[in-house]
Amino acid sequence: MTDLVGHFLIFTLVIVAALAGPLVLGRLVRPHNPTREKLSVYECGEPTIGSSHVQFDLRFYVVALLFIVFDIEVAFFFPWSVIYGNAIHLSDERLPAVTAQNLHEPAAAARMTLSETLLSVPPGSLPVNETITADAARTFAWTGLVDVLVFFAVLLVGFAYVWKRGDLDWVRAVSAQVKRKATRPEPERVSVSEARVPVHN
Amino acid sequence: MLPAASIVEHLTAAGLAPWLALTVAIVVHAAFVLAFFGAVPAVAIWLERKVSGRIQDRLGPTRVGGKFGWLQGLADGIKAIQKEDIIPAAADSMLFRMAPYIANIAAFGGFMLLPFSRDWVAVAADIGLFILLAILSLEVVGIVMAGYASGSKWSLFGGIREAAQMVSYEIPLALCGLVPVLAAGSLNLSVIGEAQQGWFLPNWLIFHSPFAFVAFFVYFTVATAGSKRAPFDLAEAESELVGGFHTEYSTMRWVYFMLAEYGHMFLISGVAVLLFLGGWWIGLPFIDGPVAALRAEDGRTVEREYGRIDVVDPVGETATPLLHSSTSSVLPFSLGNYIGNLIGAIVLTFKAMLLVIVQIWVRWTLPRLRIDQVMTTCLKYLVPISCALFLGGVLWPLTLTSTIGRTTLFDWPAAWSEATPLRFAAAQGAGAARGRGGDWESGSTTSLIAPSPTPSLSPSSPAAEIAR
Repeated sequence: MTDLVGHFLIFTLVIVAALAGPLVLGRLVRPHNPTREKLSVYECGEPTIGSSHVQFDLRFYVVALLFIVFDIEVAFFFPWSVIYGNAIHLSDERLPAVTAQNLHEPAAAARMTLSETLLSVPPGSLPVNETITADAARTFAWTGLVDVLVFFAVLLVGFAYVWKRGDLDWVRAVSAQVKRKATRPEPERVSVSEARVPVHN
Repeated sequence: MLPAASIVEHLTAAGLAPWLALTVAIVVHAAFVLAFFGAVPAVAIWLERKVSGRIQDRLGPTRVGGKFGWLQGLADGIKAIQKEDIIPAAADSMLFRMAPYIANIAAFGGFMLLPFSRDWVAVAADIGLFILLAILSLEVVGIVMAGYASGSKWSLFGGIREAAQMVSYEIPLALCGLVPVLAAGSLNLSVIGEAQQGWFLPNWLIFHSPFAFVAFFVYFTVATAGSKRAPFDLAEAESELVGGFHTEYSTMRWVYFMLAEYGHMFLISGVAVLLFLGGWWIGLPFIDGPVAALRAEDGRTVEREYGRIDVVDPVGETATPLLHSSTSSVLPFSLGNYIGNLIGAIVLTFKAMLLVIVQIWVRWTLPRLRIDQVMTTCLKYLVPISCALFLGGVLWPLTLTSTIGRTTLFDWPAAWSEATPLRFAAAQGAGAARGRGGDWESGSTTSLIAPSPTPSLSPSSPAAEIAR
């Protein structure tokens, strides 16, 4: 952890210094003659109207919410995938069960290494009789699959709901809303002329 | 360029305090990576000009630097330094100045975790891919900041669009990146790259399953969108938004955004190469074999790469017990190891540059999408497709192992390649022997790994046989 954080801090400092260098150097050679026109923001050559911090479309906000739902769940897949991938390797029948005799054969040694990785024990410290067998690894992988399917199903139900609600539609035409309203069975009768009135909000 | 562990070990053995040794090692890494980070955009921008010239039936730059205009980028840089620095009066000056730095910190920080060859990586973290994607996604903060702080409507729209696009495309990016992780059983990019040794056809992870094959193309599409390249460059869309988030940027500050973009392109291509296209391996064992043999000449007694590597321990416990506890040894410098790693780094850079050229090619061939098309492509097509690929990548090996007892469809003969689990065990064993296995964090794992796995615990020694 010290390694990683130290690297990130020093890399940040180095890149900031590397970028600031040419700018400081440029300060010595570049002209500096600001005028009012030069310092105005560009808006197709016309004088700007009003503040530029205008209200933007709320659709962007919905996308940001979707991101929170999805990306946090996807982050949980990463550790799961590592364990699952290891279990799958261990479930391969081509790696024989480890005994004291075949420990030096490549395939048995591979099973030993993979077991140690999966169990997070230091290399060379796992007793022979505690290595993971192919059957155990397969059961483990199936259990992991069921776990992640439940997790994934929750995610997909949310996704389906959002899709059905129409939050994934970027273009939400008034005509589409009218059509949806028309297909919905409603107790009171809506005349066609009424339904065509565009909804302003 | 040597691995962090080895520089730290050498310096500590020479008598430096551990924290000082670590700092010096990191500064050395940063200097090397910075040189690379500067060189990549220089080459890529030149390539962009030449390729676009060819595609549009022109020549591109021809004069600066003699032939082929190969110094055009330098000339542009010198010009940009001399230009007047204009910050609009309406802009938020501090955020405006900060934005290019943040975009570059993200792109440069990603390089910290990208292994150029097995031993040439600044941080060989066991959650490497995860941190890399996390750091890389920080770039959007710089872009949004630039758009917001410029005080221009065009910039604001560009920044907001970029935010929506980046956060949406992050989901399929992560899901497709997980398909090779499922196959490799590790997030450590060094381990993933090392495990793809052998013939390219069954061994590169793109050929691991049909789902991985499709996942590569989805990943590459999404990565192109993630580095805001055409046809997904909605953030700058010069036909609609003038210049998008960098409308108000000029001179060096604008150049820095370009620097970040090309750095990002190379980084995402490098990750694609590591995850799918064989990393630093050429894919032909009769070439890769001698290179691997060269690389192994670094003083370790390699019993065989199948996970059992006994580390020769000339110094013993004097070397950095705190930092890299599981390898308490200083490996002597070896020219063979250096050359082997150098060849690997050249191969990886070459492959990544090819993918960069593909991105350039796509940019000058396809028209830009509309914002609604970009969002629909991601949310309604790429997300479901990548979910299906992820599930496919999960079910494929499990189905095979439950029915025919092995994790690959074909049982490749020994001369053709090694069985998949053997290769991954070898790569993970090599990672563990270098002190980077076993824990979620980077090399400095102290709690779970015994202070020093001395040769007495290795299976070749009699003591270990008794202990078992």
